[in-house]
Amino acid sequence: MRYHDPVVRVLVFCSVIWALVGMAAGVYLAAELVWPTLDFGWPALSYGRLRALHTNAVIFGFGVSALMGTAFYSVQRTCHVPLALPRLAWFCAVAWQLGVAAGGASLLAGWTGGKEYAELEWPFDIAIAIVWVSFGVVFFLTIARRAVRPIYVSNWFYGALIIVIAMLHIVNSLAVPVTLSKSYSLFAGAQDAIVQWWYGHNAVGFLLTGGFLGMLYYFLPKQADRPIWSYRLSILAFWAFTYSYIWAGPHHLHYSAIPEWVQSLGMVMSLVLLAPSWATMVNGVMTVAGAWQKLKTDPALKFIVLSLAFYGLATFEGPMMSIRSVNVVSHFTDWTIGHVHSGALGWNAMITFGTFYFLVPRLVGAPLRSVRLANIHFWLALAGTMLYVLAMWGAGVSQGLLWLALDDIGELSFSFKDIMASMAPYYALRLVAGLLFFAGAVLMAANLWWTVRGRRTVAVAPPSVADAASAMRGDA
Amino acid sequence: MMPAADLPSDFWAGWILIVTAVSVAGLAWLIYSVYFGAAAQEPEGDETVWDGNLREGSHPAPMWWFWTMFASLAFSVLYLILYPGLGSYAGALRWSQGGELEDRMAAYEAEFDSIRGLIAVAPLEALRADASLMASAERVFGRECAVCHGEDGAGQAQLFPNLVDAAWQWGGAPADIERSIRDGRQAVMVGWQAVLGEAGVARLTALTAAMHGTGQPIDSTHAGHAEYMQYCVACHGPDGSGNPLLGAPSLVDAATLYGADLAAIEHTIAVGRGGEMPAFDGRLDDMHVRLLVAWLTRSDHAP
Amino acid sequence: MDGLGLHRRLEANAGLLTFGILVVSAIGGLVQVLPSVFQDSLVAPAPATRPYPALQLIGRDVYIREGCSACHSQQVRPLLAEVRRYGPYSRAGESAYDRPFLWGSKRTGPDLHRIGGRYTDVWHRAHLLDPRSVVPNSIMPGYPWLERRAADADGDIARRMRALRFLGHPYTDAEIDAAPAALAGATELDALIAYLQGLGASAGAPPR
Repeated sequence: MRYHDPVVRVLVFCSVIWALVGMAAGVYLAAELVWPTLDFGWPALSYGRLRALHTNAVIFGFGVSALMGTAFYSVQRTCHVPLALPRLAWFCAVAWQLGVAAGGASLLAGWTGGKEYAELEWPFDIAIAIVWVSFGVVFFLTIARRAVRPIYVSNWFYGALIIVIAMLHIVNSLAVPVTLSKSYSLFAGAQDAIVQWWYGHNAVGFLLTGGFLGMLYYFLPKQADRPIWSYRLSILAFWAFTYSYIWAGPHHLHYSAIPEWVQSLGMVMSLVLLAPSWATMVNGVMTVAGAWQKLKTDPALKFIVLSLAFYGLATFEGPMMSIRSVNVVSHFTDWTIGHVHSGALGWNAMITFGTFYFLVPRLVGAPLRSVRLANIHFWLALAGTMLYVLAMWGAGVSQGLLWLALDDIGELSFSFKDIMASMAPYYALRLVAGLLFFAGAVLMAANLWWTVRGRRTVAVAPPSVADAASAMRGDA
Repeated sequence: MMPAADLPSDFWAGWILIVTAVSVAGLAWLIYSVYFGAAAQEPEGDETVWDGNLREGSHPAPMWWFWTMFASLAFSVLYLILYPGLGSYAGALRWSQGGELEDRMAAYEAEFDSIRGLIAVAPLEALRADASLMASAERVFGRECAVCHGEDGAGQAQLFPNLVDAAWQWGGAPADIERSIRDGRQAVMVGWQAVLGEAGVARLTALTAAMHGTGQPIDSTHAGHAEYMQYCVACHGPDGSGNPLLGAPSLVDAATLYGADLAAIEHTIAVGRGGEMPAFDGRLDDMHVRLLVAWLTRSDHAP
Repeated sequence: MDGLGLHRRLEANAGLLTFGILVVSAIGGLVQVLPSVFQDSLVAPAPATRPYPALQLIGRDVYIREGCSACHSQQVRPLLAEVRRYGPYSRAGESAYDRPFLWGSKRTGPDLHRIGGRYTDVWHRAHLLDPRSVVPNSIMPGYPWLERRAADADGDIARRMRALRFLGHPYTDAEIDAAPAALAGATELDALIAYLQGLGASAGAPPR
């Protein structure tokens, strides 16, 4: 009996490919905001279409492939059994890649439902639902067959990812099809807005936050070689997080035409969310505390610890931006873009990079080809993220304030287009930032490729019952 | 303004209140109980080993986290007492976003209405002499007018007229400019291809091109003169100087909107043009209009 | 039973854990989303709000297809500066026929909810084909291909209107039958301009 790791290897491989595709699209978009004729009059390269490819490739290509792969990897090891239904696991892995690829092409062709982070049209929505349910069957059946009685904390978060995303995706995608490439949302206007941001914010919550917390709770203690600092804090973090996150969506609709009571509940629950979010950050930092010397030599751990810092930053910034009076300034500006990327680059991408540097050498039983290259990647990623976030803070705060400014006879002080034109230096900096980050990802892809090339996936067996018993006695 | 009480029924209002209160209480109970419940007093740290070095850490959850969580819950409760949040309950402060705007508007009017009212009726010379007001006027122009007429007002795209030269298609007197802004304008140059035929269009194109910028009356010896006097004279006048009442431009000055090259003139005559200025009454107030008229009639605008 | 004990039971039982996650994560939606979906007044059309005529409907679908809402909001907030810049703030009833809603989340370009009538068709045409011909600093892309595609290129306007009627938009049979003729000769660019010129028509009172 062996763990089913080849499927993990394929998912990691695909995740890296999607990272390169999605980030390249992001860099190209950044360039289009500096040189707007870069689409050459070609619809598929037009900003509005390419932007959907960028978000879908990084969230559903890079992010979900990484989550599926690491979930399959860790659930076997924390349950001491191989994946249940390995063929279904292969189906999930392969069908997901085909779906993201075909979906991405359809977005460039102009097929879109028009809802952010849920752009794909109804045929893809149905395919996603099928693959996602299959993912859940494999995951939960593996847990049901586990040889260790308590279910480990990473699996709670992966489990919440699977359950909540299924619920959100199915409700938000309800639509009446017209043709293969066109449908109309079941919900209209203000109701559609409430449903969409319930979905949209919790795709961030349970996929980009919760799912990656599952990754953190497994790979951080593994790599630091220390137990999670306070298991009890992780219990609190998990339930408070799962409860409060789902309410936070309406902070995307402050001062909109949805009722005020919905906005207010969204705001207060966003503030409540701060403590559960930081519980995990503290737990992670304290887990590494005492193993700081490892940071000097271990690029994987370096990435994971840095990702915790950006996680802490983003989960503090988010609740602040949800406050009505702050939101007046921040909403609709590049501040939001900066916030999203401090999470997406600093947290999601960094922890995934760290995890891959840990995981890939173990999958093939060989050391990472170049630690030096990984260290260069680390500094490129850090510099890119910092520059990106600073540029967008500068752009966003000035937009927000200049839009509101009045002169001494009560006239608006600035025309919209003058404020827009003043963004040029920030947008140029953002392009540089994106290039740095992308260059780092290319180095990683090469490094991982050289590491796995020509090597077979190592076959690993679950601990025998005797091993497990001795482990239970604590003398392993 | 959507009132907070606008819900389908009392049932849903009660549902929101009760489910929120009960679930928040449940969260508070869970947290309190994990810190202080009976099981919490037992030593932490199960013996389970999940994966090699993967075990439970035995540290208790820190007290600062407990207090942070409860402070944020307490703030939430307070906020939901003061502001609308719990279904149909409108909040102790009776705040609404529409009401907030009304308050801001009232404060705005108290602060600016008198000065804006004065500007709206001030003599144009006084406004032109005030550099700070002219700066405001330029901002209004930049915001409302520049996307068509250009940042400097000199027109653009051979579609939108130059407002800083001496030519005013609809009249350059302050009252004419004000009317153009408030009510908009719709020019009607019809296409003459069907009436004139290609040869006629060519003759009038040649005539127009020849007269452009000369400042002279229409050349009566030109081959197109007869057709001019038959078809064009009603709007553009016997001498070609145009008629601001109809928005018919002078054909003999140096100004041009759609271009003075042969192709552009030919297109104008053959196909026609329908220059349109949208009405800004309602979008702009009296002060805006007054400032714009003053700014557009500044002495340094005309050559 | 205390909290830790309850968690320990869920943690040891995959079914209970799944059920627990489902219940806890559903509460927020049950409070915020469910009552809103049953609140008819949220989607009751404003007095001047009508279902989109055929040409505007195609224009709106072009707006969706090209991802215009990535950079343009259609949501004027009830803030002083915003009402002064754009016009009356947006009301729920104005979006009653918007599937999906297009309020947007980002203003790289300006809000468009009150754009209708502000500029002429001629300006929109020049601007959409080459934005920098009228706004020299603009970073908006041009959309030259819209001029080359017929508004009824997909030939499914009647199906679109019937799908919307199924969802409650009050199109009559006569309107649906006349729709293909209403698109005849128009390009997607014409349709998009018609849609933009209709935005704000439902605002009611003029700006203050």
